[in-house]
Amino acid sequence: MSYPDSIRVIQVPCTGRVDVIHLMEAFQKGADGVYVVGCLEGECHYYTGNLRAKKRVQYTKKILDEIGIGGERLEMYNIAASDGPRFSQVAKEMDEKIRALGPSPIRTALQKIHAARQAGVNVETS
Amino acid sequence: MIVAERKPLEEIIGFIKDYKKILLVGCNECVTVCYAGGKKEVAILASALKMAFLKEEKELEVKEVTLERQCDQEYLEEIRSIVDQYEAIVSMACGVGVQFMAEKYQTMPVYPALNTLFMGGAEEMGVWAERCQGCGQCVLGQTAGICPITRCAKRLLNGPCGGSTKGHCEINKDVPCAWQLIIDRLKALGKLDDYDNLMPIKDWSAERSGGPRKIVREDLRQ
Amino acid sequence: MEKGKTGAVVVVGGGIGGIQASLDLADSGFYVYLVEKDSSIGGKMSQLDKTFPTNDCSMCIMSPKLVECGKNLNIEILTLSEIKAVTGEEGNFQVLLKQKPRYIDLNKCIACGTCTEKCPRKVPDDYNAGLTMRKSAYIRYPQAVPLKYLIDPERCLYFESGKCRVCERFCPADAVDFTQKEKEITLQAGAIVLATGFKPYDPGANDTYNYKKFPNVVTSLEFERILSATGPYQGSLLRPSDRKKPRKIAWVQCVGSRNVHFGDRGYCSGVCCTYAVKQSMVAKEHSDIELDTAVFYIDIRTYGKDFEKFYNRSRDEMHVRYIKSRVSTILPGDQEGDLKIRYVDENGRVVHEDFNMVVLSVGLDIPEESVELAKNLGVDLNHYNFVETGYFNPVETSRPGVFVCGVFQGPKDIPETVTQASAAAAGAASILSEAKFTLTKEKEYPQEIDVVGQEPRIGVFICHCGTNIAGVVNVPDVTTYASELPNVVIAEENLFTCSQDTQVRIKERIKEHHLNRVVVASCSTRTHESLFQDTVREAGLNPYLFSMANIRDQDSWVHQHDKEGATEKAKDLVRMAVARAATLRPLSRQRLPVIKRVLILGGGVAGMTAALNISRQGYEVVLVEAEKELGGMARKIHRTLSGDDVQAYIDDLIEKVTHDDKIQVLKEALLADFSGSKGNFKTMLNVGPAMYHREVTHGALIVATGAKEYVPTEYLYGQNESVKTQVELEDILLKEREVAKRWQNIVMIQCVGSRNAENPNCSRVCCQQAIKNALALKELNPENNIYILYRDIRTYGFAEDYYRKARELGVHFMRFKEHEEPKVEQVDGRIQVSFRDLTLMRDVTILPEQLILSAGMVAGETQELAGILKAPLTKDRFFLEAHVKLRPVDTQSDGIFICGTAHSPKRIDETISQAMAASSRACGLLAKNYIEVGGIVARVDPELCAACLICVRACPYEVPFINADGVSEIDISKCHGCGICAAECPAKAITLYHFEDAQILAQVDGLMEAV
Repeated sequence: MSYPDSIRVIQVPCTGRVDVIHLMEAFQKGADGVYVVGCLEGECHYYTGNLRAKKRVQYTKKILDEIGIGGERLEMYNIAASDGPRFSQVAKEMDEKIRALGPSPIRTALQKIHAARQAGVNVETS
Repeated sequence: MIVAERKPLEEIIGFIKDYKKILLVGCNECVTVCYAGGKKEVAILASALKMAFLKEEKELEVKEVTLERQCDQEYLEEIRSIVDQYEAIVSMACGVGVQFMAEKYQTMPVYPALNTLFMGGAEEMGVWAERCQGCGQCVLGQTAGICPITRCAKRLLNGPCGGSTKGHCEINKDVPCAWQLIIDRLKALGKLDDYDNLMPIKDWSAERSGGPRKIVREDLRQ
Repeated sequence: MEKGKTGAVVVVGGGIGGIQASLDLADSGFYVYLVEKDSSIGGKMSQLDKTFPTNDCSMCIMSPKLVECGKNLNIEILTLSEIKAVTGEEGNFQVLLKQKPRYIDLNKCIACGTCTEKCPRKVPDDYNAGLTMRKSAYIRYPQAVPLKYLIDPERCLYFESGKCRVCERFCPADAVDFTQKEKEITLQAGAIVLATGFKPYDPGANDTYNYKKFPNVVTSLEFERILSATGPYQGSLLRPSDRKKPRKIAWVQCVGSRNVHFGDRGYCSGVCCTYAVKQSMVAKEHSDIELDTAVFYIDIRTYGKDFEKFYNRSRDEMHVRYIKSRVSTILPGDQEGDLKIRYVDENGRVVHEDFNMVVLSVGLDIPEESVELAKNLGVDLNHYNFVETGYFNPVETSRPGVFVCGVFQGPKDIPETVTQASAAAAGAASILSEAKFTLTKEKEYPQEIDVVGQEPRIGVFICHCGTNIAGVVNVPDVTTYASELPNVVIAEENLFTCSQDTQVRIKERIKEHHLNRVVVASCSTRTHESLFQDTVREAGLNPYLFSMANIRDQDSWVHQHDKEGATEKAKDLVRMAVARAATLRPLSRQRLPVIKRVLILGGGVAGMTAALNISRQGYEVVLVEAEKELGGMARKIHRTLSGDDVQAYIDDLIEKVTHDDKIQVLKEALLADFSGSKGNFKTMLNVGPAMYHREVTHGALIVATGAKEYVPTEYLYGQNESVKTQVELEDILLKEREVAKRWQNIVMIQCVGSRNAENPNCSRVCCQQAIKNALALKELNPENNIYILYRDIRTYGFAEDYYRKARELGVHFMRFKEHEEPKVEQVDGRIQVSFRDLTLMRDVTILPEQLILSAGMVAGETQELAGILKAPLTKDRFFLEAHVKLRPVDTQSDGIFICGTAHSPKRIDETISQAMAASSRACGLLAKNYIEVGGIVARVDPELCAACLICVRACPYEVPFINADGVSEIDISKCHGCGICAAECPAKAITLYHFEDAQILAQVDGLMEAV
């Protein structure tokens, strides 16, 4: 089994722990894409955690759309714990999708600002 | 409680587009409970605003503070020491909080991040509904605890009107007819006779016609 | 004065069965000697690649148990040891062992591997089923416990020629000791548990399949090693002769099973069908080229819980071919190395097909040493050399005080073995109850170091995992990188970070460098976090000051072809873990007392068996039965397949249960409410016709609510009185023998209400039920005609003997296919059964006097109960165990256990084993004087709380409440730590410990630093 090496996993006890703020922070710091992987619907160890996460992901997508980052950079998937092949497939799907969308405008901007700072140019900040 | 919702981000961004440092203030009362302006929403808005700026290759500094209440001077006082460091305040309180904030800090531009909607409560998790319009002269005692001012589209005091069909209002099939609800409940309470008592013409001056309202409790006033 | 009983137990055999029995016994208050003939524990399961039906990695799920066993203060592992004699009796045995020399000092060996590296002698590696070579100085496998090398004296140059001793010269720890001699050890023990397991059948003995001649004919165990990442080809699917990738592989079933001709192996080994399903699927997943797999079988016996779905998936989704044909010979194929199989296809034609490789699904055999052991112990064996046990006493041997579990008792799979191991532990614990905690030692953790206010000082340990990680990731590079990260004081690499010697090293580093946080970059938290947490705790650190980076499962394993990318990713993952570690806080745990009482729901065989065992172990029981009488579903069964009297047994059970002063029976009692957490539950019951309220407090709960017989809606059941179920037939066979005697033609239809779209699983017992009743009918009237219409006959284990007997007595077995079920009509009031006989290839019509339906077993009304208990169900509404392989009677809710048919369909003897297993697990919990709560739980900051009720509404367990101060409060003993409330709270007043916002965001920020 393999999947693209663009993916880094952050572990949570349940996707129910994933907060809108966590998702926002990842984008704010320059992530090109974020996806939340929970148990299959109806099979949450904590009953409703993955359903709550799904709603929060939808809400966050809306915000991302509103500020022009693109809600499609954020997704939620439900994969059985034992289903490695599906995990790998989803990783590939997400990787391809994000590659097609290109780098996040935030990441591009952060890199520019960083480069400008390195070069000693006065950037628009305080 | 006062129920509000966040303004479209575009509108908020419009207010602050020329600033570099803002103070974003939440309120830990009604707007926290209705998921519009508590500490969590402050963090989300802060992040969204920063990203919106970054996208334009600008950096925005946002100081996040959530006060116990924005409708009390003492709580507002808590930010006095830092206010000067920012170019503008964005308040995530209801309209009351925003105005108190503006009154408190006269020299600072203060912008609302929320649209204040109504007085209501949570019907279920995530659903808030209006229950009171603050008419100043409560009739709930006569209407089986169901407010015709809020819940009847025509604010009829002696309803229903001819637009009531199968228990629903003519303005929208999903809206129950307030007067149907009142009659049903009176019936259930065995007080349908009260329905025959015509309500007199209401004194609307207690509502808005007398201008902004004020209550003074002399026993509390210092 | 009578001598007291000895509070120690000898467990013989260190496979998964022996490990589970040891862990349970140690938990229950006994000192355990775990005697293993090999150099390390782990047994056969350690050699498996994946396990069915979830395809979990065998070693990954097993290794925490190995380590737990190795670390348990009350389990003493004696390797290279065999029992020679046992004297004394139940309660006080003297067990004489012979321990072979290891030639390496256990206390000195640091497991560096130098001896192996330097050893000049190569010998076939039996761990890899002889497919590779190992050295004479070696270790069985990398995760071995104890992780200590040894020298194989039979194939060592020094022992052969008197010269060499290279290992001794190079050993940096001076551990090699050629002077070691065989030792005799005498152990004192109150009971003995036999868990010696099996050896795979050797197909070379009667080599009909040319196994010895053709290298590409391999056994299933050899194939496991070929599939395994630690196997001869590092997990590449290659065939042995030329190391080419096979495109076609065949499995030949029942090799050494269901065959009376070679060495009297008339029994069914039970596991081979499901492992062939697994192997054929895993092989397809593994292969990077198109792979065709075909399984040649007699009957597919996927009778275990959810196994049928697994089989269906392999056939329908993975397109494994299943060919019903017994293969008799394997010949050379047309191409070099290929093999030709001759079989009869669906249409009765003889087909010759070539395969690149053939796997022989070899059965489970009892090794000679086990037979010898039984003789030494005076334990009776059955006609197949398995230990003889009574039907109703499945873990008791003929010698009192000696118990048995696992395959030595009869063929079985891993969960059945684990279940029976717990049952054997319960058996031993029940006879030694008075000696509990007389010989055990207690673990003392050092005083916790106070790290509050200290700057983080982080130690990073990066694992090679042999070549699992180091073969892809540049570990030295990652280690250097880690050492330069903020707050990192020391970073070092280990061959196996999970090995016992590395645990010692981690502790030393903590002390030397005053570390206050530890990061391990290795494998999954799921399998290894608790091990490392315990290690840091042993060094005085709070166990929550630990964080892990998974650079194997999430990195080296999935980016095998991109070494550079994998190394960069490993750095990212380590940086994230280090960033997280810096934010971690010590968490305190509170001790709560344990109520020494078990509540059992269900007064059938399962519930009563568990109740009696718990009582014998010294704890109280409240046994709750919904009906007016005890007995349950078994009340409808009169005899077992082997002829045992079920009703006499149940009468005896009821007698014992009702007269046991530790057991309180509540009949007509229903569960009304359930609350609390493990060790401290409170249950409200409505009891008796008057429904009076009764509150019971208890430390554990066992669900033994049983299942139901499926009520057929098909085949004119209920419309024609000649159509009956097997249970109804059994009643007639008991009460109206003369009527049954007159029947001339009887048809039985199998799989009624099982293995179909509504109930995809096999009900496990119906084939045996049908054969039992067919044999009884034949006994009444040998002249009658009995036709059993079936899809697969699933008489696993010794039940196969009865299937053979039925055939010998002339019972006709006629097969039909799924979706081509027999047609049953009523013609002039008579039943007419028509179907296509697949042997005759003809349509057949029979006019039987009786049509007997083998109605399956379906779950009872479990949904409401599951809701109250918050215990999950399977799709078929049976209770779901915590882990299908290794925690078969635990549920995901701590302190709640399951047994009997509430878990899945099963026989009475299997129910008894499982009930005793549930008892063992519950008593293991009750034996503790306190349990610890806290750790990863949510906490409300009252200063921030807006009392908005969101948490109250969002918690799936209804834990938060608004307290007298008007703010939300969370009872930590009930909190499950999911974090839903923390993510929902609009005032950010709720913190989920160990997954605080700051800790999660530290990882996000740590990762994005690179941007």
